[in-house]
Amino acid sequence: MEERYDAAVIGTGPAGLSAAITLKIRNKKVILFGSKNLSGKVEKAHEINNYLGLPAISGEELGKRFAEHLQQMEIEITEDQITSIYAMGDYHTLISKTNHSYEASTVILATGVHFGKPYPGEEEFLGKGVSYCATCDAPLYKNKRVAIIGSSPREEAEAEFMAEIASRVYYIPLYKEPVSLGDSVRVVEDRPVSIEGDQKVEKLILKNQKLTVDGVFILRESVSPAQLAPGLAVEQNHVVVNRSMETNLKGFFACGDITGMPYQYIKSAGEGNVAALSAVAYLDQKRRELK
Amino acid sequence: MVKKISENEFKEAVASGIAVVDFSAEWCGPCKMLAPVLEEVSEELGESINFFNVDVDDNFELAEGYGIINIPALLILKDGQKQEIQVGFQPKESILQCLGKYL
Repeated sequence: MEERYDAAVIGTGPAGLSAAITLKIRNKKVILFGSKNLSGKVEKAHEINNYLGLPAISGEELGKRFAEHLQQMEIEITEDQITSIYAMGDYHTLISKTNHSYEASTVILATGVHFGKPYPGEEEFLGKGVSYCATCDAPLYKNKRVAIIGSSPREEAEAEFMAEIASRVYYIPLYKEPVSLGDSVRVVEDRPVSIEGDQKVEKLILKNQKLTVDGVFILRESVSPAQLAPGLAVEQNHVVVNRSMETNLKGFFACGDITGMPYQYIKSAGEGNVAALSAVAYLDQKRRELK
Repeated sequence: MVKKISENEFKEAVASGIAVVDFSAEWCGPCKMLAPVLEEVSEELGESINFFNVDVDDNFELAEGYGIINIPALLILKDGQKQEIQVGFQPKESILQCLGKYL
């Protein structure tokens, strides 16, 4: 069986770091997912004037202080991108891009708001031809026509794989790097506009053309929260939380920009603290129930 | 209990009452996550709903007949008639809520 953490914190901005620090102080077994560079959004801030105790601090300097704080608390960062979180009942299973799986009793989601807006038709046809994982659904597209929208060169492997099964694969790269794909994949240099169909996906509309397809695979770097955690209640791209930072899923908390405006560093740090304490209360309650 | 069935048993299995059919496959990660959750749901609901599992690799035509192109997919039937299809992993509470309206 896998090692079960008390809490998995996802995100290394002020919300995630603050949550991880509080959990550590409360002696919980924590795994923190994110980037060793912490948060690009903090890093790039010119000057922050309302972070308590640190007036007129640059984003770069604030990031350094965050890193020092983590070091002092002996908190490590696991650089493995989480792509799915499944609510299994008493615990959550987290799957990463490298296909590792992790188990945690609680999850604290603090991934910010850098995901794009869905294409018109994307949500409507999700599961009816729209999918986010080519390798998952590929065998069902035997002899069918498929379009793959790739946000980075890493997605080209999925297109190659799909081409072994589907009768026609279109690949729409959303990046500037040169595409290197075999002849079995048709590369279409165009911009996706919308997904259309009746009961199921029928067409991918691009700026300059229409593709008749049975399926559209949208492969993005960062995924929206509802896609990340199936069943999680979301309102206009923000995770719905209460004052305790609880979501609709038990043992699942969210904090920081992902919960909505205002997008402020100190608000995020505060919410991270609340989320962590709510997770601690949840863990304690579960322990009492087991006795 | 979730009973594994194949295409030739299908019609008879879902002929009467409420049936939930989980279309999945060996190679599908989210299907593997859904299986134990669905098992729990079936335990909880007792005998009021029949639960089945169909492997899409072995029963491709059955899946295609119901227009299933993304899995896991839960097909809900009443006396053999299709009611709805729910696609993707779902937590136990969501499945219970969805099935509640058929009880």
